[in-house]
Amino acid sequence: MPTRRELIKAGLYALGAVGGSTLLPKHLLAEGGAASLAGNKAPTRFIFIHKGNGLLPDTLVPPSFDADLKSKEKAKEAYSVDLDGHTLPGWMEPLAGHAQNMTILQGLSGKMCTTGHHTWCSSLGAFKANERLSSIKWATVDFELAKMFPSPFEHIELACFPGGGGNSRGNINGIEKGFSARGPQQPNYAFGSPAVAMQELFKSVSEDEAAQVLYKLDRQMLQFVAGNESGIASELQGVEQAKVGNYAESVEAIRERNRKVEAMADQIRKAMPDLEKNYYAEDVSTTDRQKGFVEILLSTLTSGMTNVIAFTADELGTAYTGLPKIENERVNLHDVGHGKGFGNMEALDIRDSVRNQHAKLIDTIVSRLKATPEITGKGNMFDNTVLFYFPDNGETHHSKGSEWPFVVMAGDNTKLNMGRRYIRLPKYGQQGHKTLGNMWTTVLNAYGNPIEHYGAPDSGLDKFGIDQKGAIKQFLS
Amino acid sequence: MKPVMKPRKRVIAAALLACGLAASAFLSVPQPQAQAAVKAQPALGGIPKDVARVMGKYCVDCHGGAKQKGNVRFDTFATLGAEDRAELLTKANESIHFEEMPPSGKPQPTDAEREKLLAWFSTQLGKSADKGLKDKMRYPHYGNVVDHDLLFSGTIDDKAYTPARRWLINPMIFKERVMDVFELEGRERQNFASREFYGVTNPFVLSADSGVKDYDIGQLSGGHLLVMLNNAKWIAGKQVFAAKHHGTNHRGVKHENPKDNWYPRNFGPESFKAILNSEAKPTDQQLTDAIQQQFALALGRSADKEEVIKYLKLMRSMVDMAGNEQALQQMCTAVLLESEFLYRIEFGGGKEDAYGRKKLTPHEAAYAISYALGDRKPDEALLQAAASGRLLTKADYRREVERLLDDEEYYRGPVDPSLSGGHYQSNVVSHPRIVRFFRDFFGYRAAASVFKDPPRAEARYQNPGRGTVGSPGWLIYEADLIVTWHVENDKNVFENLLTSDKYFVYPQLTGEKGKQIIDEWKLVWNTLKDKPWQTEPEKVLAENIDFIKQQKSLKITKVEDKRAVSNFVTNMRFFSDYFPKGKTPYPRGPWTHGYYINHSIFYSLPPTPMRGQYYQKPDSPEYWAKKQQETHEDGFKWWDYPLEQPFSIPNRKGILSHPAWLIAHSLNFHTDPIKRGRWIREKLLAGRVPDVPITVDAQVPEHPEKTFRQRVEEVTAPDECWKCHKYMNPVGLPFEAFDDFGRYRTEELMEHPDNLIKAGNGKTTFDEYPTKPIRVSGALDGTNDSRLDGPVDDPFELIDKLAKSERVRQSIIRHAFRFYMGRNEMLSDSQTLIDADRAYVESGGSFRAVIVSLLTSDSFMYRKEMND
Repeated sequence: MPTRRELIKAGLYALGAVGGSTLLPKHLLAEGGAASLAGNKAPTRFIFIHKGNGLLPDTLVPPSFDADLKSKEKAKEAYSVDLDGHTLPGWMEPLAGHAQNMTILQGLSGKMCTTGHHTWCSSLGAFKANERLSSIKWATVDFELAKMFPSPFEHIELACFPGGGGNSRGNINGIEKGFSARGPQQPNYAFGSPAVAMQELFKSVSEDEAAQVLYKLDRQMLQFVAGNESGIASELQGVEQAKVGNYAESVEAIRERNRKVEAMADQIRKAMPDLEKNYYAEDVSTTDRQKGFVEILLSTLTSGMTNVIAFTADELGTAYTGLPKIENERVNLHDVGHGKGFGNMEALDIRDSVRNQHAKLIDTIVSRLKATPEITGKGNMFDNTVLFYFPDNGETHHSKGSEWPFVVMAGDNTKLNMGRRYIRLPKYGQQGHKTLGNMWTTVLNAYGNPIEHYGAPDSGLDKFGIDQKGAIKQFLS
Repeated sequence: MKPVMKPRKRVIAAALLACGLAASAFLSVPQPQAQAAVKAQPALGGIPKDVARVMGKYCVDCHGGAKQKGNVRFDTFATLGAEDRAELLTKANESIHFEEMPPSGKPQPTDAEREKLLAWFSTQLGKSADKGLKDKMRYPHYGNVVDHDLLFSGTIDDKAYTPARRWLINPMIFKERVMDVFELEGRERQNFASREFYGVTNPFVLSADSGVKDYDIGQLSGGHLLVMLNNAKWIAGKQVFAAKHHGTNHRGVKHENPKDNWYPRNFGPESFKAILNSEAKPTDQQLTDAIQQQFALALGRSADKEEVIKYLKLMRSMVDMAGNEQALQQMCTAVLLESEFLYRIEFGGGKEDAYGRKKLTPHEAAYAISYALGDRKPDEALLQAAASGRLLTKADYRREVERLLDDEEYYRGPVDPSLSGGHYQSNVVSHPRIVRFFRDFFGYRAAASVFKDPPRAEARYQNPGRGTVGSPGWLIYEADLIVTWHVENDKNVFENLLTSDKYFVYPQLTGEKGKQIIDEWKLVWNTLKDKPWQTEPEKVLAENIDFIKQQKSLKITKVEDKRAVSNFVTNMRFFSDYFPKGKTPYPRGPWTHGYYINHSIFYSLPPTPMRGQYYQKPDSPEYWAKKQQETHEDGFKWWDYPLEQPFSIPNRKGILSHPAWLIAHSLNFHTDPIKRGRWIREKLLAGRVPDVPITVDAQVPEHPEKTFRQRVEEVTAPDECWKCHKYMNPVGLPFEAFDDFGRYRTEELMEHPDNLIKAGNGKTTFDEYPTKPIRVSGALDGTNDSRLDGPVDDPFELIDKLAKSERVRQSIIRHAFRFYMGRNEMLSDSQTLIDADRAYVESGGSFRAVIVSLLTSDSFMYRKEMND
């Protein structure tokens, strides 16, 4: 979503590139793996984990808050406290060891998004997305960041897709439209199961003979298409050249990416997850599906295949299986949203259990990255990682977008000045109120994208005279 | 051969005329110029002296040390960094090129001076600046740069042509091409018209903004490729799967993904089956046959010798590596990934004529004609005509175009499949593309992109959401119907679209269908009204169940049914609100599943009952209290539904007062007189409004005591704003007669927090504000007809005058040209436009005549290689 000024800048940089201006993604032209792309400097890595059915704001409040803080919390007054000395809510217990890297952020709103049950790309794009491709207004924030921290795969999306209604629809074990978007009207595709993600992401180093053959076939077919289209383009000029040339270059770029991935074969093989059989099963439980995805997520980051991952931990239509104490129940999150219990658990306890499951996954990610030395030799990989955990639809099951709670886990070298705090921003309609758009703008600005504002405006805020544009200044270090 | 691009003077005249200025403003040297020449020249560091001298004369007074209008200044040029210099020069280059600067009324540079500035900008910005401007001229927004009067003057004798080109297919053609690859026909093909393929994502989306958008300027990008990689693999996989299982009972066929269990059961080319059924390696002939088959299916042509050799080599290698099936599938995928699958190819063939033009080859012509009239590839007769040398002359084109326009079935399909929701489907017509031209032109489809606050419209506005296009979806659908009606009548189409007061509202149960239901309901009411249905409904129902069962629309078949009694009472209560007063309800109960049809109020018609209105139990005091509240003094508040449609609605005139158009040209909380005015200037008056200057952050100020019009007028009054707003405000402000939901009004609700009289809950009660009278006067200029230009009292007078304007008629013809040619018109298209305009007039306003004229024109038939 470039500003006019940026567009002009882009035009300036394109001067002299007549007939050869390319839409080729730069990341596909970059050299080597994700870390080496940035020279000696380690890239920043971003992990976006979102959940369905809302994230109830009350459930993020530390129980150790005193009466004064509780009263502020109840009134939704703006305040900020150090998490040091406070106990985390029970479901967050797996993250207790990482409190120094944690921020709990409350008070953002997201009424510029589609809200309610399902929101598709809304939370990552800060616009209304309603299942129609035409509703995708621009690249989601994860893709914007992926452009800034290039890697061979640019961006990887993993999703526990909904099985019975919801966004996005399709084969929950396949590769389907995900929750991120590459650009206007361009949905991203997400891997729906650990099995398909393994097959597609690691096929270049697969030891399975059939998979190797398929990989070689694909490679040969792409080579053929690239040669074919380049041949056509070479005989054209001007506008007509661009019409085929861009396409030919894009095919070539994918081949180039594949070449890079092949060149990283040793790295990838070393980082390849060693998943047990149950993770490959067609009827893998939701919790195992999530665990399998986390292994793949870690492998793709540590191997340098990507620096940005979006992970749909669940969506409202995800039929949950494998939850502790009700392992054999097929939990319908929609029913849970309406207060229905399953097995011997009440709805709120199931919500707690689901979040606790997510906290365990986050702990695995953070702990393992902390235990992995950074490729530059300085510090560990988590030092350069930011993880966002948030709902895809706001504050509750039938959300209005009046609140959009976040848990942010950030390493020591990251650029967001939020660390180890519980922050409640001014509530909706109050001066100083901030939106999801402000949040993503802050992240983009902090990492060098100068965009004036990322996200659609919330026309409902106009009447309060609130300036919605720009970053949340106090979070920029 | 005359130059194609018009001479510079023509462009300048065009720009001035398009802005409503007299030609003499350019042609005579303005007096103030001489005075300007003697003024002292301020220093402009970093700019060559001769250029600085020109800028000093014309630019620096407003953009220098003393004044920096629009925050633009040239006196500090030397101190700017490269990026800021480029930004400043880019803007200056465009302003000078398009004659936006200096503003009218100020001294104007001579041609030579202007050229000097442009030449220097060009050296500073590089070749790309010129190319950028030239490229811009190809975009829809710049269509009107070509001088209207010159186009229709009859003085241009350049021979018409279209540049040889690839034209990116639109989303509808893409869908049809996928169906062609599967050889779908009949019912299965019709089903997919409003259904998606499981594994196919349409790589194309057309913008919902007003105006013709399907131009030949689109280019394939990396994004398209990524989508097509998945699409091609899925399609090829299904082709091979189908060929493999062709002739076997589909019930026994196993699918890898049970949810993706569709395949084209009738698809089974012999050439594919020969390879799949062979245990040996296929022969070259078998491989060639399969390659030719896939080329025919996907690209609509044979592979040439060179292509066959290439694909043979690929397939042989793949057969060795992975066997017959994989080789076939990969070949099919590769053909689908040919860029040609996503383009329309129009290069012309044969010998160049004396003007450097080539006629479309017959094969190209067949496709060009078919895609002009519909989304499908040419039918057999058209392909036959092409193959047998009967698609060469204008007469040939005319014969085929007229035949296909007479064909009610070949292109039949929904106007906009994406509009279809759970409760209605987009209307199906014989030639959807004709309706699509008008919906693109008017731009009312954009209503679905404007989100509204429902409580501002009595909670009767439903925003588009999951599985529904909501209230704007209904309104767009109804606008499509009225366009269809005028197009099918095919008499004075433009004038009727602009001025007719006839509309369709809740059109699904009109005519016999609705009458039958109403007759049943009346019969039930008249038969049972005097029975104790309110106090003893069970008894009344039991005693009359045989009679009630016969009235199918009530859907009550058994007394024992759980909901039979409440259904009966609900129906009777509903009837009691209408029939005793001699009124007709919409023939669908508002309690039925998924009912959300509440948009009559946006036509300023009375409301219809909302869902839940009749839900309460018979003895519920809440029901009767609510009913009491909702009953007007005359005892009836609901809309008396007209079973015969279209019907007249007061205070409405044509599409420009249709709620869909008004909402499409509105903001979330306000009307948008600027957008409405701009639409009229650009679409009807062939005028041009300059781009918003880069420094302008257009905002209408808040003020609790002023109407929106007052605030717009205040903020646009300064000279630097008015120079553009004068083209929009006078023709846009009369539409303040309608609010941003499209409701007619004489007073504006002063919706400002300071004015809140009483807050509502947003569901059953609503915020109350005071009102103020509105002004709806305006002025029309730019028709070049002194009988029409001048003040107007209201939008209806404005619309009437527009409908009488020759320029408006010609402007619509220009847009039709763009729709059918996929590009902006050039001066060399003059004769094509004049012919199309004449065809319209001489046929009594037939749009069909316009289509025939355009599709038999030189602009349509000839192509010319361009070297840029």
